[in-house]
Amino acid sequence: MLGPNGAGKTTLVKCLSTILIPDEGTAIINGFDIRKQTTLVRASLGMVIGGERTLYWKLTARDNLLYFASLYKMPRKKIKERVDELLGKMNLLDRADERLEDYSTGMRQKVAIARALLHDPSILLLDEPTLGLDPTFSRQIRNQIRELSKKEGKTVLLATHYMEEADELCDRIAIINEGKIVAADTPDRLKAMVKETELVEVICYNPPQNAEKYLESLCPDVEIITLVRGEEAKGTPSRIKLIGGNAEKRIGTVVDALRKKNTQIISLNISVPTLEDVFIKLTGAKLTEGGRGTSQ
Amino acid sequence: MIMRPSETYSFRANLLIIWSEVVKNVKFLLAYPVIFVFWTIFPFFWFIPFIFQGQAFVGGLQSASFEQFAGTPDYIPFIVIGAILNGYVLTSLYGVGESIRREAYRGTLDYLLSSPCNKAFILIGKAMSESINGTMYAAIQFVVGILFFGIELTIDTIMPIVLIIFLLILGLYGISLMLAAVSLQFKQAHDLAHTLEYVFYVFTPVRYPLQSLPFWAQVLGKFLPLTYALVAVRSIMLLKQDVLAIYQEIFLLLVVDIALIFLGFYLFNWMEKRTKSSGTISHY
Amino acid sequence: MKRKDEEFRESRKILCPYGFTLANLKAEMRAIWESNVKEWKIELTYPISFTRQCIEPLIFLLPFIIYGLVLVGGRYSESLMHLVGTGDIVTYIFTGYIIMGFIGTSVWAMGFSIRKEQWYGTLESIYVTPTSRISLVLGMALHSVVHQGIAVLFEFSVIYAIFGLALKIEGILPALVIFALMMFALCGFGIFVSSLALILKEGWIISEGLYSVLMILSPVAYPLTVLPNIAQQMSKVFPTAPALIGMRSFLIENYTPEVIGNVFLHLLALDLAWIIFGIVIFSVTDIYVRKRGTLGKY
Repeated sequence: MLGPNGAGKTTLVKCLSTILIPDEGTAIINGFDIRKQTTLVRASLGMVIGGERTLYWKLTARDNLLYFASLYKMPRKKIKERVDELLGKMNLLDRADERLEDYSTGMRQKVAIARALLHDPSILLLDEPTLGLDPTFSRQIRNQIRELSKKEGKTVLLATHYMEEADELCDRIAIINEGKIVAADTPDRLKAMVKETELVEVICYNPPQNAEKYLESLCPDVEIITLVRGEEAKGTPSRIKLIGGNAEKRIGTVVDALRKKNTQIISLNISVPTLEDVFIKLTGAKLTEGGRGTSQ
Repeated sequence: MIMRPSETYSFRANLLIIWSEVVKNVKFLLAYPVIFVFWTIFPFFWFIPFIFQGQAFVGGLQSASFEQFAGTPDYIPFIVIGAILNGYVLTSLYGVGESIRREAYRGTLDYLLSSPCNKAFILIGKAMSESINGTMYAAIQFVVGILFFGIELTIDTIMPIVLIIFLLILGLYGISLMLAAVSLQFKQAHDLAHTLEYVFYVFTPVRYPLQSLPFWAQVLGKFLPLTYALVAVRSIMLLKQDVLAIYQEIFLLLVVDIALIFLGFYLFNWMEKRTKSSGTISHY
Repeated sequence: MKRKDEEFRESRKILCPYGFTLANLKAEMRAIWESNVKEWKIELTYPISFTRQCIEPLIFLLPFIIYGLVLVGGRYSESLMHLVGTGDIVTYIFTGYIIMGFIGTSVWAMGFSIRKEQWYGTLESIYVTPTSRISLVLGMALHSVVHQGIAVLFEFSVIYAIFGLALKIEGILPALVIFALMMFALCGFGIFVSSLALILKEGWIISEGLYSVLMILSPVAYPLTVLPNIAQQMSKVFPTAPALIGMRSFLIENYTPEVIGNVFLHLLALDLAWIIFGIVIFSVTDIYVRKRGTLGKY
């Protein structure tokens, strides 16, 4: 599930895990109805939600896993072995008897994933599992997820707003916006919705004020024009993207229009579409907030 | 308006800090009216068992044995006055004393401590707002005490009682500052607040006269401002003594206040420097 | 040969037992025990807090005793003797006060169990496990009961050393049976309070309020007969009043119960009523909170 903050990904995860009761409708997990067979649904699922604060910081990693294993009603004889196995898998065996308050955020997230795997569920719900992690830990977590899906054959429902993560890991992606699924397909087919020839990127300095409206008036059949202003004082150029509607054929018009406004064009290229482009095309909004991709 | 550096430490600026804290904390209280009602009503629930206990053990509303220690056989008004003044202790310990911990929990502590003012004035602001709250509760409780529990209050006794309560509050400020100072370094401030509450609970004449305790316990009680405040207020209200008769209690209360406030400020400033250098100031 | 439910679970790759089976009951009991162990492990990382909480009941007991001694001018009260057949105020107060910590188990430890998990940040994590939520609350209760037990032993040692206590040794076992019956009802009450704490923002006020009300309505430091009639009637709804009367009957020589009636039957009826009431309210509240989506919010 790919979508910006507030799209409804976490709400959906909570509904599926029976924490929330949906207003309407139901879902079937491992053959069980989330409204009527809640215990069996919970027994079928492993979940990672809410980050590092969902563990007991005053307990060790081992104690946390032993406790949750009992809540998952695992057979007593198998618990210790299973906990050691998972700690080994997460490379935490040598620090298993240290309290979680002494762990880094990434290590705690690994323990959270280990907890989700205790009872060897066939389905995993992962809500933003790499949120707040540095690149190293993010890479490790993603590798774990890939292994769980490809090698162990688990069904993984991943909720994220990082498009690279979705692109890299997922067989199918549902793009969510404002509580609705706007598209659901394989990553390649989604990107094919934004055909190569329809995505043009202009890198420039000193784009005109209201560049988007200005260019829209000249290229009415281009579906979306977005501007990301760079910090020119620091040498970062601005980027103008044209998506859809024969954008490639409009290059000449765009270049002339920009030059008239004294815009200095650095480069012009036809970009490979990303999932963010797909999202923008489908919803007209940016996938991410903050420093990445804000419009003017 | 940007303040010049010399203005950030002026007396006027510090008064403004105190006022801002008072306004913020009173707004916070008004956002939770249930808390206001709770602190007004519940002190009565806590001393009602003692009233019934008295009736069961002595078979009436007066006790000759109690009079030998307390100077009055009327144990009910004795206890009611104790409960009302003890309310100030509770609002001090749990209101002010844990203020640092609450700021850390809310995530605002770093910003408070990086401001250029003397942090003790922030705490004084918090203490004053708790005192305002405490006085509102106490005023309502006194009215209830007069109507239902046999307390008598005349016009000429109001000012001395107000003075004594004011002095009590000053002494409690000192204790609150010490508690806040310790909570900067040691995160389990609520344990310390509870421990202080126990000390007040047992060693001050809230429920029984100080003379009923062993000698060593009486000595410990005499280091606490509540002891003198209770003796003085009860002398005025129950024993019908005038202010001159209790000058000793008022003087000793003042001495204890000065000592506690001085210790409080000193300890707070010392702890603040220490925790800043150790970098543990906002760990929660 | 595998049972049908075992085959079913295997086919769906579900490890845990469920439903009305012995295996599931054992698993729930184990979850209760492990919740208790978890709380102990966390508590013992705060040794100062643990020590303080063991001493606290004694601190709150002492003023009752000192006050009583001052009122009466000694240990023996004529008035109490006429009311309940014994005038020994220290033994009377002590036998009443030992249950106060267990009232705290109900309104605080159980009442705030869900809130405590919200504060830890772990509530949603434990809610997505197949263990019953009530088992989790009972686990916290077990921890608190053991905790209070330690505090009572400490209280007993100190009070016995300072004042001495006149208790009948042969009465301890039946008193413990009555105590156990009281605890079942208090558990039901505690489950009810925990559901209130889930929906009310300032749940601690409810817990403190209920604690104070129970304190007044229970004959901890005075017989029920000194209370107004309406309060005496209200006290019958809570298990602490009949329990204290029953326990004192067995523990104190010449004690005359101030209320006539069969304590055991009364407590059994209260057990049933409070447990059913608590579970029903908890279940309704659970659905309400899950519909509103406020479960993880503190």
